[in-house]
Amino acid sequence: MSFREKSAWVTFILLLVTFVIYFASAYTVMHGHGHMDNQPSPNLFHLFFQLIFWFIVLEIVTHIVIAARTPKDANAPLDEREKLIALKSVQPAFYVLLVGAFLTIGTLHLGTTTYHMAHSVLFVVWIAELVRYGMQLYYFRRGV
Amino acid sequence: MTQQELADCVGVTRQTINAIELEKYSPSLEVAFKIAAVFKMPLEKVFQYRD
Repeated sequence: MSFREKSAWVTFILLLVTFVIYFASAYTVMHGHGHMDNQPSPNLFHLFFQLIFWFIVLEIVTHIVIAARTPKDANAPLDEREKLIALKSVQPAFYVLLVGAFLTIGTLHLGTTTYHMAHSVLFVVWIAELVRYGMQLYYFRRGV
Repeated sequence: MTQQELADCVGVTRQTINAIELEKYSPSLEVAFKIAAVFKMPLEKVFQYRD
């Protein structure tokens, strides 16, 4: 497995775990009292920054470890196949982002608050990133 | 010649050479010519087009 593929796996898993924790907590906070809580929660705010901090730390540490195991691969620029994989993976992620953005705008007409809208935007960006890294892994495995 | 040695000669990763061998990736003309040049063979001897 190449350095780029390992890197994509690490980022995909970290993204998945980090934001599953966040959105599960956010759902519990917002819907925990049996009704929609529209007030921003300081606990959720702190959790978000803690998770982002640990996401960055783990990304750096894991990338240092895999780069140390394959230093030649890690220092080499992307070759033509890797560039093509990176480019082709962006396309489906962009469509997810586009559809998600329009759906988020549509929720304005349902009377959502900016607090919920911010979470909706974050959710859409998260799914789009998962699709991007997921498609990279698909192309690395199945060919491009 | 190993995949790594060919990859180093051509300027791609070993995984890309492997993907070409397994027909999971069609290289650019530039890389195809470089591979043919490494083996000192004409391009059509190294690569064949199949539908």
